[in-house]
Formats: sequence, structure tokens, C-alpha cells
Amino acid sequence: MRTRFLFALLGLMLCFSTPVSAVPVMTPRGPVEVFSRADLFDVAELVRLTGAEVGFSAAAGSYTALLGEREVQFTPGGTLAVVDGRLVPLPGPIRVVEDRPVATMATINALLAPLGWSLRGTAAAPQLVPLAAAPGLEISLTRSPTGTLVVARGSSLRPRMDPSPGELRLTYGAPLRLAAPPTGEGEVLGAEVRDTTLLLRLAPGVEAVSTYPLDNPPRYVVRLAATAPTADLVTHRVGPLVVLDPGHGGEDHGARGPGGELEKDIVLSVARMTAARLQATGIEARLTREGDENLSLQDRTALANRLRADAFVSIHANASTARGARGAETYFMSADASDAVAARAAATENLDASPDTVQLILWDLAHVANLNASSRLARAIQGRLNHLQGIRDRGVRQAPFVVLTGATMPAALVEIGFLSNREEAARLASRPAQDSIAAALTEAILSFLRAPEPSPEPEP
Amino acid sequence: MSEYRPLLIAAAIVAVLVLVVVLARPRPESPDEDDDSADVAPTPAPANLVLFFPGDDGLLHRESREVHGLPTALPARARLVMEELISGSAKGFAPVFPWPITVEETFADDQGNVFVDFSSPPVATVGGTSTELMLVFATVNSIVANCPGSERVQVLFAGREVKTLGHLDLSTPLRPRPDLVAR
Repeated sequence: MRTRFLFALLGLMLCFSTPVSAVPVMTPRGPVEVFSRADLFDVAELVRLTGAEVGFSAAAGSYTALLGEREVQFTPGGTLAVVDGRLVPLPGPIRVVEDRPVATMATINALLAPLGWSLRGTAAAPQLVPLAAAPGLEISLTRSPTGTLVVARGSSLRPRMDPSPGELRLTYGAPLRLAAPPTGEGEVLGAEVRDTTLLLRLAPGVEAVSTYPLDNPPRYVVRLAATAPTADLVTHRVGPLVVLDPGHGGEDHGARGPGGELEKDIVLSVARMTAARLQATGIEARLTREGDENLSLQDRTALANRLRADAFVSIHANASTARGARGAETYFMSADASDAVAARAAATENLDASPDTVQLILWDLAHVANLNASSRLARAIQGRLNHLQGIRDRGVRQAPFVVLTGATMPAALVEIGFLSNREEAARLASRPAQDSIAAALTEAILSFLRAPEPSPEPEP
Repeated sequence: MSEYRPLLIAAAIVAVLVLVVVLARPRPESPDEDDDSADVAPTPAPANLVLFFPGDDGLLHRESREVHGLPTALPARARLVMEELISGSAKGFAPVFPWPITVEETFADDQGNVFVDFSSPPVATVGGTSTELMLVFATVNSIVANCPGSERVQVLFAGREVKTLGHLDLSTPLRPRPDLVAR
């Protein structure tokens, strides 16, 4: 009786001493409670658990972690770290919640990887493991008449693709290792893993043309093809080039109408018609997807960037919980999002270079300059759509759309009507309506390309 | 009586230890439930919230709502605002969320960013930019309008940051959009 009473009191004491928002992190030495909120974990605590010596400089407002020869500096509120003296962009910011520096697993892994550690598992059951135990990627290559298929298996994470001349980077949210050299044959000269990134060195004249994930088991596929036609197009083309992006595709149906109309089918049809009309006027037009295939949002603008397109138009059909919603609207990038994304993109561009503030500013200025042209493109599109019979003008707006953030040329996203509205859904599914929308889009793009840039206002 | 003396001494020691541990605990980390009573004390009088709901015109429409027991602590207040938003419009405006949803957690950082963790959406992508735009900015505008100290809001789903629900970039906290509100 007495013993039971003592145990009950001790149990009560232990309950009180356990932090409410701590999560047990499994380490090689057993579970350790670490402060967490949703998917955010205390960065400093986790870095200390690796055995690193962690110091905080109140003057600089930053933490420094030392483990062996490696040094990692990170600053609460920042999205960059300094690893062994080099500036490294982080997947996300380090925030301060309840006086603790916290970040997502992906961001923490970018800091842990140089120290030889990795945070794996789920937000509810994370594991801190040495990098040697990180998942091993297996790369297989298959040559086909149109190029090479690269299949990466061994991680269920969907990587971010960053193409650049001669190489391809796939950045995963967690540290990796290469299980073995790539198998099979194809136009890949070599593969290596740097922390959370798989780096593929490509044969000359080859580039990634599409990517998609597969399940059971999880794989990530990259299709490589010769760049020669693209290079010709870029260097030898005489007229402007427009990239049209039919939204969604494949398993991603987009919005669905009451009669089963699918956004992915309607916008593909409109994009094809628009491309045909543009080409008939001598304007080169390319589609981001030619058929019913899934393409990441980043890949869509990446194609337009590689082709150095003069304009990028993403075509969508809308839906709303408001049953009476109808009409067309056109968007371009909002300035806030543009600034943040441009800065991050610029930092990524400078991954292997020393930090250069001037480059960051130049990138930002170029992006802001495109905002004016994007606004002009969006207004041209909305203006032409307003002339169509039965289309209600919902105006031009700005929003931080992912598909527009990476574009390095004037870009707009047009919503041609509401599939959630029965009348509009039936109209959008009809070929005559699609053709009249394509005609309006063609006229708008032509007027945008042919109109001279407005001259800057004279200084007072 | 003397046979109970060791038990009483042990109980007294444990009680003192419990008291020390409780007093030495770090600041409570679930403000929704555990914040100092001074911080979360509900306002005694009824208070008016301003909520934003989507209309047919693609704009957000203000709707005033009287609530009792409005907490003063930011995370708890943000949760109450979201629960009122989820419960729907009393004036016939459209629902903000196209699927059943609950608020799992709300918290804030020291930069004026409020994080709202929702239960998972039932589909991978949301159909229509309008649905997504209204969902996100009804949330952002409603929280910033009613929660002093909040400047930006980031929505999370199932405890995770999401890049997008199909269109908008949700990877960073967003500022309110007064231009999306009907005049």
C-alpha cells in the first residue's frame, strides 16, 4: 500500500517534469526529449545531440556548431547557413518559437548533413542517425530512341530539380548516400551525392525534359533528351517564342465540373488550339505538356526558362465553393512573393560561388522589371477575354502562384471560366467555346509581343 | 502513529520535489491550454470578431460575429477565430473550406508569424485557384484582423509545412490581402 502510494506520487512528479511540446527523438544512445511544434524542431538541441559543440553569439545573433573539422553557422530568422565558410541556402527559414530556434526536418537536415548526421522518420517519431545510415539511392539508366530514362529508387521523398548546363541536381529533403554506381547505359557520365543532393553529370547536348514520381516502390524518374533542337531554337530562331502551360495533367485532374468535365482536358485542348493559331501567325509556340501527363510546377517554368521564351502563359479552369461564381480572371506574380522567391533563387544560383550581394540585387531588379511586363501581358489577356460573349470580367489580380515564381520572362496565369458553375462548365467543354477562347488568347499574346515596351518616365 | 512517520516524511519530500519541479518548469508550451491565466483570461464582455467569407464575385466579404470568452493570448485567440470561420457564414456566404476540416494546433513565433495547423485535406490538390485563394486569405485576413500582434499567417496541414495545395506558394507566412476584400 505504502509502495503503491510512493509510486503514484513519483509518477505524478514525472508527468509534471515532462515538457508538454517535447517529442522523443530516437538517438543511438536512446530517446531524448526535444522541443517541437507541429513539424518544427529545436535546431540547437538537435545539433547538440550530434556531439557538436554549439555556441551562441548574442552580438551576431547566430549559432555556431563545431564537430571535428566541420563548422556550421545558422541564424534564427534566416534562410541561409554558412558551412565551412560557404554560404548555403536552406530549404526553409529558421524561426523562433517560444524563444527557441526551430525549423522543419528538411531545413534541419541541411544543417546536420555537413556534421555527418541525419534526422529521419516522422514528426511524431523522429530518429537522429549517423549519415552512414541514410537511405541509399540506386540509380538505373535505360537508353531509348528518344533519350535516357533515369530512375532513382531508395527514397520516398520527392526531390526538387535544378537543371544547369551539363548537370542535373535533385535535392531531397534529407541526407542521402549512393548505394552503388549507376547501373545500365545512358547519357549520364557520373553520379554523386553531396549531403541532400544527387548530382548527375550529363553527356554534352543532353538535358532533362520531364520528371515524375512513381509509387510501390517509391521512385523518381527523369527523362533526358538531346538539347540540339532547343539550342537551335534559342540561337537560330528569328521570331518570338511563347510557352503555353496547360495546367494539371495525369493523375492531377484539377477542377471537375458537375457533368464530369475535367480541367486538365479542357485546358490542354485550349492550349493546343492557341499554339496552332500562334504558329499560323509565325510565332513559335511550345506546350509544357503535349498529352495527359503529370509535370511538376517547377518543370513547367524550367522549360520556358531553358527555351528563353518571350512569354509564359499558364492556362487553367477555375472552381469555387461559391456556387454563383463565374467569369474569367488573369493573374500575375505578386511583388512580395517575387522578392522572397527571387532572393532564394539567387542564393541557390550562387550555391557554389562566394556570397555576392550585388548578384542578389541584380536578380531582384530583373525580376521586378518582369513584373511590369507580366502585368501588361495579364491585362492584354483579360482585355481580350472580356470581349467574348458570355464571359464575366473578374479582372486582373496578383497572387504568389508557384508556377509563376520561377519564370524569368513575362508570365501570367489565366482562369478561363468556372467548372463549378454548371453553365460555364458545359460551355468550356464545347469546342466552339474553346476555339473562341484560344482566339482571344492568341490576339492578346500577339498584342503583347508587338506592343513596344513603355518608356520609363522622365525624371523630374 | 509512529509507524506512519517514514511514509509521511517520504510523502513530504516527494511533495516538495513536485513543487520544485512544477515551479522550475520552462514556460508552458501549449498556450492554448496552459498559458498563464493572466495571458489567456477571456475577455469578460462579449467581443466582436470580423470574419471573411468568399462571395460569388471572387472577393472576401466581412461578417461581424459576437463571441463570448475571447482569449487574449494570440495562439488561443487565433484558434477561436479559425473555429468560428470553419463553422461557416451566418449571412449565406460560401464556406471557406471545401472539405470537413479541424484546427489541430495554433502557435506563433516572435516575428508576428502565426501558424495554423489544419487536419489533412482529403485530396492532393484543391480544384480551382479561386477555392485555394479564398481558403488561404480568408484564414490570413481573419486572423490578422482579430489577433493583435499577428502580421502574417502560414497554414500547415497534418503538422507539416506544404509547398502548395496545387497553385499558391504556401511555403512562407503570408500577409493579409485587403485588395481581396469587397468594398
